[in-house]
Amino acid sequence: MTVGTGPVRAVLSVGDDRVTVVRGGRGDPVVYLHGVCDIHAAFPGDAWTPFLARLAEHAEVVAPALPGYNASTGTDRLEDVEDYVWHLGDLWAALGLGRVDVVGHSLGGWLAAELALRRPELVRRLALVAPLGLHVPGLAVPPFFGAVAPRGVGGAGEARRLLFADPDGDPAGAALPDVMARDQQLLWFGGLAGAARLGWKAPHFQSRKLAARLGRIGVDTLVVCGDGDVLVPAVMARAWVDGLASARLVAVPGAGHCVALEAPEAVHEVVRFLAAGAGP
Amino acid sequence: MNFFSFHLMPWPHLPGPRQFLADNEAAWVTLSNAHYDPAQGAVLYERYLSELVRAEELGLDGVVVNEHHQNAYGLMPSPNLMAAALTRETSRVKICVLGNALPLYNPPTRVAEEMAMLDVMSGGRLIAGLVVGGGPEYYSTNVNPTEARARFREAVDLVLEAWTRPGPFAFDGRYYQLPYVNPWPRPLQQPHPPVWIPGLGSPGTITYCAENGFGYMGVAYYAPPESFVRQAAAYRHAVAEAGRRFDPELLGWLTTVYVADTDEQAVEEAAPHLAYFQGTLAAGFVGPGKVWMPPGYIDPPALVQFLGELRAMVEGPRPSDPAAALWRRSPLVGSPDTVRERLLAVVNELGVGTVLSLLQFGSLPADLTARSTALYAQEVVPYVRAHARPEALR
Repeated sequence: MTVGTGPVRAVLSVGDDRVTVVRGGRGDPVVYLHGVCDIHAAFPGDAWTPFLARLAEHAEVVAPALPGYNASTGTDRLEDVEDYVWHLGDLWAALGLGRVDVVGHSLGGWLAAELALRRPELVRRLALVAPLGLHVPGLAVPPFFGAVAPRGVGGAGEARRLLFADPDGDPAGAALPDVMARDQQLLWFGGLAGAARLGWKAPHFQSRKLAARLGRIGVDTLVVCGDGDVLVPAVMARAWVDGLASARLVAVPGAGHCVALEAPEAVHEVVRFLAAGAGP
Repeated sequence: MNFFSFHLMPWPHLPGPRQFLADNEAAWVTLSNAHYDPAQGAVLYERYLSELVRAEELGLDGVVVNEHHQNAYGLMPSPNLMAAALTRETSRVKICVLGNALPLYNPPTRVAEEMAMLDVMSGGRLIAGLVVGGGPEYYSTNVNPTEARARFREAVDLVLEAWTRPGPFAFDGRYYQLPYVNPWPRPLQQPHPPVWIPGLGSPGTITYCAENGFGYMGVAYYAPPESFVRQAAAYRHAVAEAGRRFDPELLGWLTTVYVADTDEQAVEEAAPHLAYFQGTLAAGFVGPGKVWMPPGYIDPPALVQFLGELRAMVEGPRPSDPAAALWRRSPLVGSPDTVRERLLAVVNELGVGTVLSLLQFGSLPADLTARSTALYAQEVVPYVRAHARPEALR
């Protein structure tokens, strides 16, 4: 365990792949699986986002980058949810992790749920923050990959409007500025390619099979959603909670899809939830 | 030397770039098909097919059709239908389908079948263009763009095997598994029709073509000429590296062409239609608006470079001389003398043996297209043909 420190970045070999992992903080390990957008803020400057900084006050945060994000590889080989779950299982082993708390945001929320479904021995408590992955018949959500398509000139306004309740706020501007430096562009496009690998099939980031399987996830689960999230609207958040065996919903006022960036104080709900499961 | 007439069959009835971009993000993917008027469309198909047939009458060597989906830029979602019509309306020219977007067909043996039909129907005049498909098409079809390249390569292998290996046989690939590959008919040309692949300059594509004996057709007509200079050199180099003999006819260059009596007249007449082509119809993959370039379709470094070039093109200093600006973006606009010398320079300095001439572009109307095409075919092509020595670069 790293004791009371800021994040340390390393690149691990996991099978044939490399995985960037950032870890730091104090306490039992908590794996944080990031979302479609919050990766830049966490990694390039080697500083935690406010959300993770507060989580790291209560736990040792272990934050791997999903394939395509940061220096993590695997997008040429991993094709579907099945592959990604086994990849995460290998990652757990490489990190020496057993049954741990998992916080998954957005894309990472989807994968955390799929992992809990197939590898319950790896997940203690599950906090899903704006989780993607669920298909609700008849519920239309805006096409993510269309909104994040680049523009010749004029920036990322459409992506900010999709992902943030306040597209003009500081968190949105920091994550998706109109003009990105080359390094940030490479991270963003690399991450999007990784996200597309898993989530391209329309409606983007939705599994048609997950809803019927949700009840098989037995671990205690917290679902945290922004009330301004257009990708995981209230109906979908409710479907998560209704489908899971043991779950409760927290709605975060004034937050869009990127809850962890836009409303980092939501982490306190997560910390309280995880603490309730602590102990032998 | 090959001189081909390349047609996009564009929709010419949208506003010019300034007005269009004020109201729309692109002419691809999301531009409502309510803009398409089928009655006007019937007139256009008739006209555009006639323009291709005219190329044969004027002595050009071939015609080119191509596949695009859900856009105003090119109205041939099935180029094979157009090629089928052309097998009956022409008797001599090569018919190049450039191409069929293999990853969008499942199974891609459909392409092997249709192209074999075209080759047989045309008496062995087909040139088989095989393409990955444009970025916007991955949005329009929902095929996963992160698989585009790998799927394409496997599909090329499947199509070539289907053409050359006696069936039935089983194909067991990563993306395609077929227990019985046995397409009827088989192509007339043996072992198979020439394969041409269009590219925008990706080194991987250039090497792939050179190593497999495929033609490489540089189709980034909107990029500055220097870009194609690099591509041509890379192709010639890759052919030598692969231990093959350089065949200039396998190195192609797509360019807009407009010929009038004088340079001034040519620039004046072509300019608004080129602007419509490059500003309105191409909006969607170049220009200031949305770039329908899906994630994973090209590597992040290549995408960053592409966007940088795009930005420079949109925001960069504009030459004050409109003729100079046109030369940079579309070299072959001018009098017969100007165009023949410029074209000859490209042919002899780059080793280009196939010129894909876009003789109708954007909103260029029928009368101007006909006049320019005749001047090109009668005043430019014979001269270049007589003086071309592209094989000297071998």
